[in-house]
Amino acid sequence: MDNASLDSPATAELQSFLEQEKQRAMLNELVAKLTDVCWDKCITGSPGSKFSSSESTCLTNCAQRFLETSALILRRFQSMQQ
Amino acid sequence: MDPYSSSSQSGRSGPSPEVLMDQVKQQLAQAYAEEFFGTLREKCFAKCVTKPGTSLSGSESSCISRCVERYIEATGIISRSVLSSMPR
Repeated sequence: MDNASLDSPATAELQSFLEQEKQRAMLNELVAKLTDVCWDKCITGSPGSKFSSSESTCLTNCAQRFLETSALILRRFQSMQQ
Repeated sequence: MDPYSSSSQSGRSGPSPEVLMDQVKQQLAQAYAEEFFGTLREKCFAKCVTKPGTSLSGSESSCISRCVERYIEATGIISRSVLSSMPR
């Protein structure tokens, strides 16, 4: 397109906007994935009108442990490739 | 959808960055809402409609309402948990 040079201020602004939205989308994706997995693990009965404290603690722990597991497997995986 | 042809002053400068950014935000929000709807439907159907009858019973409907509320709450809990474990 010849309507704007590629390094115009407007293009730079758009690029940083897109980068920021990409980060946000990745975070949303991660939260959606964790909620999916942790819901199945922690909410075993039929959903009540309020979470029990053990359910909400389970959700919080589940998210943390999932991230930890992911880091652990990543390290194992990397050491296997050497 | 083509940002270049939707400009009113034919092709000289195109839509402003603000207009493009708004469009992107709107499309992302739309995609996110659709995906979230799909997840809610799957999760709450699995939890609340264990033995499908000829219509949704009152107790199934109220289970679905609670399920939707709890799933949204769970998303918030997970979100805070993830953010708290991030540096900075």
